[in-house]
Amino acid sequence: MFGDMTPPARVAPQHHFVEHGGEVEVELEAEDEAGIFAAALDTFTELVAGNADGESMEIQIGLRGRDRTLLLVDWLNELLFHAEVEQFVPRHITAIELEDETLQATVVGYRGTPRPLVKGVALNRLAFEQEGGVWHGRVVFDV
Amino acid sequence: MQLDDTLWEIPAASRADMRVPARVFADRELLEAIAADRALEQLQNVATLPGIVDAALAMPDVHQGYGFPVGGVAATALPDGVVSPGGVGYDINCGVRLLALPLSAEELGAHCEPLVHEFSRAIPAGAGKHGPLRLPLDELDEVLRAGPRALLARGIGCEDDLVRTESGGCLPGAEPGAVSARAHERGCGQLGTAGSGNHFIELQRVDRVFDRTAADAFGLGEGQLTVLIHSGSRGLGHQVCTDHVRIMDAVQARYGIVLPDRQLACAPASSPEGRAYLAAMAAAANFAFANRQALAHAVREAIRRVLGPNAARATRQVYDVAHNVAKVEQHGGRDVLVHRKGATRAFPAGSVEIPGDFAHVGQPVFIPGSMGTSSYVLAGEPGSLERSFGTTCHGAGRTMSRTRARATIGGAELRRQLEAQGIVVRCPSNRGLSEEAPFAYKDVGHVVSIVERAGLARRVARLVPLGVVKG
Repeated sequence: MFGDMTPPARVAPQHHFVEHGGEVEVELEAEDEAGIFAAALDTFTELVAGNADGESMEIQIGLRGRDRTLLLVDWLNELLFHAEVEQFVPRHITAIELEDETLQATVVGYRGTPRPLVKGVALNRLAFEQEGGVWHGRVVFDV
Repeated sequence: MQLDDTLWEIPAASRADMRVPARVFADRELLEAIAADRALEQLQNVATLPGIVDAALAMPDVHQGYGFPVGGVAATALPDGVVSPGGVGYDINCGVRLLALPLSAEELGAHCEPLVHEFSRAIPAGAGKHGPLRLPLDELDEVLRAGPRALLARGIGCEDDLVRTESGGCLPGAEPGAVSARAHERGCGQLGTAGSGNHFIELQRVDRVFDRTAADAFGLGEGQLTVLIHSGSRGLGHQVCTDHVRIMDAVQARYGIVLPDRQLACAPASSPEGRAYLAAMAAAANFAFANRQALAHAVREAIRRVLGPNAARATRQVYDVAHNVAKVEQHGGRDVLVHRKGATRAFPAGSVEIPGDFAHVGQPVFIPGSMGTSSYVLAGEPGSLERSFGTTCHGAGRTMSRTRARATIGGAELRRQLEAQGIVVRCPSNRGLSEEAPFAYKDVGHVVSIVERAGLARRVARLVPLGVVKG
């Protein structure tokens, strides 16, 4: 017989900060892999966004990584780079395409005054995995 | 296992992959606080690094980091012991510089708030490319090669500042070509910016002198004003770490290296990858020394505007020390690469690396407390060479996560509390302020008492805050 046929509840991309003695650790959750990248973007925006809201901007991000965890780190590093050199504060992803080792995305946001808080994205405690039909990610930011 | 009054050991046999013991400088009370997060597990991980000698060490301000704990020290035997970019951290040569003003807090009087305000106007946190000193690429490369000396021709700093900087402000072997284009791009507009997080510029008063001889040598007396600057290599250094952790993560299997934590990614110091990192790290360290020189220049200019040219001219640099760096040093009769991740070199009197004025008292060390509490000036002691590869602590050390600190007190309330203590606060972010609340850190006096009892450094003076500027 078939098991429970109730479709799993939709899991909107979400993040929550967890206790970390020195840096900032965040857990991500989404119903698909792309959602983990969206949740990571939301986290980054929460960390760096200031009060100012400037002209709209759109950036293209293209990445290659040998596994999803490295792709996740590179994704955040890319956002960090644009925040630092272009003062870009991301709002959300308008398009994302994930292949085995590549990611292509369009991100919209605005030119603001991002807080220069995040120094780097560590490989420590890094995670990107599926469990119980839900995707989970974990990242530690050096701040 | 307790080895003595202030030293504890986790034996190498406690884990199959540890090559040396892990040792912690602490008393029982601090050890309990240290054991509350993952710092000890991370220290044990450090003890697995190929080529590590003697022990993986933790200072009393140690707390959980990523890869290495913050407050961790490891020396690897050269030439083939490893170098680990994570053992230095993203903020390469994050460090502190202390300036001594030629007047007392009493003489400053009502100028305190205007002076702190002027610091905040003169020193941007540094988002984007809007630092006060945007260098063309060739000049940036000269800073990477030579450190703050490259800024002297622009009237930023003086020869005496260089003498009073660890390693003269220039680590050998720096190669701008080893620094990626992306790191250059991040760094070219950031000289003279403080950054955010726990970085600050603090106006202080010398509250108490413990060692008159050393204080005289450092140019410090009770009541005197000082300015403590805490910053690092900004985006340039962060990118160097990012680049080289990734390179080593990809190649370490080639060297047969297996690690319990990916962030410890490393390669033999003598390998092409190891040499490339050391060349880039030295360049980023030189950039950080130059950044603090540019910040000190901005402080002097602010002093000139508020207190006049004589006060600015007579504001002298006490010293500048690195907290995050890997350096080739000789310990126990051999060359080792000492990784200091949130730890300070603390060479004793007589060491050849110490400037002549301090040679008889030991190297100055500055230990910032948490916001609103005291900071300490220490001097290196012989025990540091015997027990900790010439190293002591670097701060109070966090004891509470930023998340919990924020949940405990709002930034506006903390600002009110600090101002009620008579401390002028300039910080654009209430969130940033609450994350750095004093109760999120250990008691700096307690931490300092441990390094003094352990013979790593001794107290010279205590500094109390009058005003703080945070990014």
